[in-house]
Amino acid sequence: MFDFRFFEIYRSSEYMNLLLDGILISSGLSIASGIIGFLIAFILAASIYWKIKPLNYLSICWIDFIRNTPLIVQLFFVTFGLPLIFQYVWPFWAHALLALTINFTGYFGEILRSGFNSTPNSQLEAAYSLNLDKLTIFRKIVLPHTLIKMFPSLSSQFIFIFLTTGIISEIGVNDLTHAGLYIDSRTFRTFEIFIVLSILYVALSLSFKASLEFVFNKTLKKRM
Amino acid sequence: MQELLINIFDKPLGIIIAQLVSATRFTVYLSLIAFVGGGIIALLITFLRIYPSKILNFLSFSYVWLFQSLPLLMLLFLIGLGIPRFVGQDFDPWYAASISLIVFTSAYLAEVWRGAILAIPKGQWEGAAALNLNFLQTLRLIIIPQVYRYSIAPTVSFLIQIIKGTSLAYIIGFQDLMLLGKRWANSPVIGSEPFIIFPIMAVLYFCLCYPLAIYAKQLEKKYSIEN
Repeated sequence: MFDFRFFEIYRSSEYMNLLLDGILISSGLSIASGIIGFLIAFILAASIYWKIKPLNYLSICWIDFIRNTPLIVQLFFVTFGLPLIFQYVWPFWAHALLALTINFTGYFGEILRSGFNSTPNSQLEAAYSLNLDKLTIFRKIVLPHTLIKMFPSLSSQFIFIFLTTGIISEIGVNDLTHAGLYIDSRTFRTFEIFIVLSILYVALSLSFKASLEFVFNKTLKKRM
Repeated sequence: MQELLINIFDKPLGIIIAQLVSATRFTVYLSLIAFVGGGIIALLITFLRIYPSKILNFLSFSYVWLFQSLPLLMLLFLIGLGIPRFVGQDFDPWYAASISLIVFTSAYLAEVWRGAILAIPKGQWEGAAALNLNFLQTLRLIIIPQVYRYSIAPTVSFLIQIIKGTSLAYIIGFQDLMLLGKRWANSPVIGSEPFIIFPIMAVLYFCLCYPLAIYAKQLEKKYSIEN
């Protein structure tokens, strides 16, 4: 009864290909939505920082709402609700990309907002006394400060959301979890395949962590 | 309550909302189980993490590292589907969901609390050693009263993560708000379309989480001014 049969997984080239595709799709979707989400979150946080009137209240509500609802509810609403309202047909991965992007905007927006607000007052006063205009202050002082200070939070948030992306398999995206469930339904080696998946997820998140650190060292560290 | 909701929202929607609201209580129960159970284990892990013994430190470090890098979804699959298949016996989804969430919670809370302990200046430990207090006395008299202030706000905000995490438990058949809502959204009843059900569920989750978020923010403000 107690037997481990990992060979059923790694001997079959079909399963290995599925897992490889799953890795590519999972990480690709996470990276793409992370980048788009970061750009949108930047706009939201900047609108709050500059107090652009209607937009900043909307951004605060948006960020609070996204951060206080589960990703899976957002995912299901985006996948099954929105297409019914607006009458469009997208492939599954596009829905997943949209839902993940929405989720990222909320979390990144909050991190960037608190980063913008945490710029030391003395630096801002020094900039005012040099008669720098608002845009230059933002570009030269607030932004580098925020990016350097908030990079660890941003990267750990990215990894945290990457670890929850497994639920996009629920809407039929061929990601890593989906590959695992497929192999499970073919071989009935449930315990083994989920151990394999766990190892893959841990390895992926570690490599994300290492590469984000590499990017940080290459770009921002010399400005510290 | 159901009659009142039917009076307000009319037939299908009133019943759906009443059912969703009553299913929310299982989400709350599971969150509480995870928080209390995970909190107790996290206390133990944190204690082992700072206890002056290399082996215990390493063990608790590996526990935290392992379960922080495992996705909650994989924990649910492993405990809810994998282990029952492995030992050839079915698990109640309640047990599987509780165990997974307790493990998940304990790893994160232990990390939060260890961070709070590290935030305490070294001089406090040295002062305690100079007063000839032993390890337990130092913890009880000096460290814990200070750690409390650092850790209460992040602990409350982690509770939000737990509540959101319970929504994943439907995957192994745990009957909560998520599963019921998904069932209603899939049903062919007119008035239970996905674009009506999922916003209602989002609002219910929001009502659970947002007060905690506000409370955490207040605590943060309170203790940051005092320091």
